[in-house]
Amino acid sequence: MAFIETKGVTLDLPIYDVQGRSLKKRVMSMGRRNTIAEDTDGVIVVRALDNIDVRFDTGDRIGLIGHNGAGKSTLLRTLAGIYPPTAGAVMRDGKVVPLLDISLGMDENSTGIQNIRLRGLLLGMSDREIRQKQDEIAEFSELGDYLDLPLRTYSSGMRVRLAFAVSTAVDAEILLLDEVMGVGDASFMNKAKQRMAELHGRAEIVVLAMHSNAEIRRVCNKVLWMERGRVRAFGSTEDVVAAYEEQVATT
Amino acid sequence: MNFHMFNLAFVDLINSVASWRLWTLLGWLEVRQRYARSRVGPFWLTISMGVMIGSIGAVYGTLFGQKMSDYLPFLATGLVMWNLFSQSVQEGSMAYINSGNYIRQAATPKLIFVLQVTWRNLIVLAHNFVIVIVLLAVFGVKSWETLPFFIPGLIIFVLNAIWVSMVAGLLSARFRDLPQIIGALIQVAFYITPIMYRPESLTRFSFIVDWNPLNYLLDVVRGPLIGQMPNSISWGVAIGMAVVGWPLALLLTGRYLKRIPYWV
Repeated sequence: MAFIETKGVTLDLPIYDVQGRSLKKRVMSMGRRNTIAEDTDGVIVVRALDNIDVRFDTGDRIGLIGHNGAGKSTLLRTLAGIYPPTAGAVMRDGKVVPLLDISLGMDENSTGIQNIRLRGLLLGMSDREIRQKQDEIAEFSELGDYLDLPLRTYSSGMRVRLAFAVSTAVDAEILLLDEVMGVGDASFMNKAKQRMAELHGRAEIVVLAMHSNAEIRRVCNKVLWMERGRVRAFGSTEDVVAAYEEQVATT
Repeated sequence: MNFHMFNLAFVDLINSVASWRLWTLLGWLEVRQRYARSRVGPFWLTISMGVMIGSIGAVYGTLFGQKMSDYLPFLATGLVMWNLFSQSVQEGSMAYINSGNYIRQAATPKLIFVLQVTWRNLIVLAHNFVIVIVLLAVFGVKSWETLPFFIPGLIIFVLNAIWVSMVAGLLSARFRDLPQIIGALIQVAFYITPIMYRPESLTRFSFIVDWNPLNYLLDVVRGPLIGQMPNSISWGVAIGMAVVGWPLALLLTGRYLKRIPYWV
């Protein structure tokens, strides 16, 4: 049984490039998004997550909703173990695969086949797993002989197709997705949707951040509404999405 | 001393070594990328190193009144090995910074990015080493007995290069002025380390050589190749540096491992 649980997770993101004195001097809240504070050595700190307590279990399909900058992507990265939390703890059982950036680990001068291996390794696949899946990935990407050409000869659509094909070939127990849809032309879109459904089917837990409420209603059984790094609401899809839509409509 | 921090880094190191497929691939890609579509490819490294050794050899060999058959192998082995160390440290200081893209997208072990730099420079060494072999063939091997000691020497040498680049990479990720400072220090180190001149020729300022750990470190890889068995002080200093440096580097890495994703 896979699970992923956060206990009082708080995450402060230090921002080192900002030298703005006016920013340093006061503690201010930026718009309606995040709380910006200053830590002791004068580095600007953004509190991206504030005391998050959630637990996802096998079978859960979680939708993350909230405004831009509400902390959805940061939460995904924290769940994935990329950002260790400043306070609190993340406990997980099961192989976690984050698909956050479609362009991760694509090398311009390597061929399609070599890129399949590079990206596969980065996503935590073994060489044997990659070899097993290579044909299937090649077939799905519809790139054919292009796979023997370097990536720099690809159109942007072809790149996305390749990246999508490799990423979605992983076997994850816990899958974390950040708005990866919207790829390729119309016919590929349909294939991609189907493949995403298969990917979801293989995983025990899926957490996805998305802006399409319709899609979330279709896929998810639970929704986590984030606001300024906090949990605004967590519950059944219908209730939370309805509340969210109401709030969006009134503001 | 904090055992927990050390442990954290040690686990990361074990996981990093285990994902050798990833860092060997990343290291190789970087080499290939630099020489993409060039006909000679990475052998440009060999050519430029050869030209450098040839010209320095001609000028300084004459200036110092050296016998070319002795001086050229001495210079070549010194330069080639120095290149491995200095580039590992210099590129090591950018190890995490340049891999920010990977670090922010996937929860891989962190030390793979340091090992990737080392691997890349070992590939470069393999190309440069052609020159050493050619020179040894032309001028003859001075002593076959000392030659096998190059292997343990190289291992100790590389182990030292790794821990120094671990430290350089970690500190540089936080303090972005460091890569520049490290670059300048390496430049200075090149001149005060006996690479172009013989260690014993700095008569009045012999302390510069005597107190320079890089001198001993270089000796354990250069000596065996040019037929001079490194003395026990050289072995001692080189091994001692690795024995002291590794725990320190791991401790420091463990202390700041969690901060790396925020720094890059």
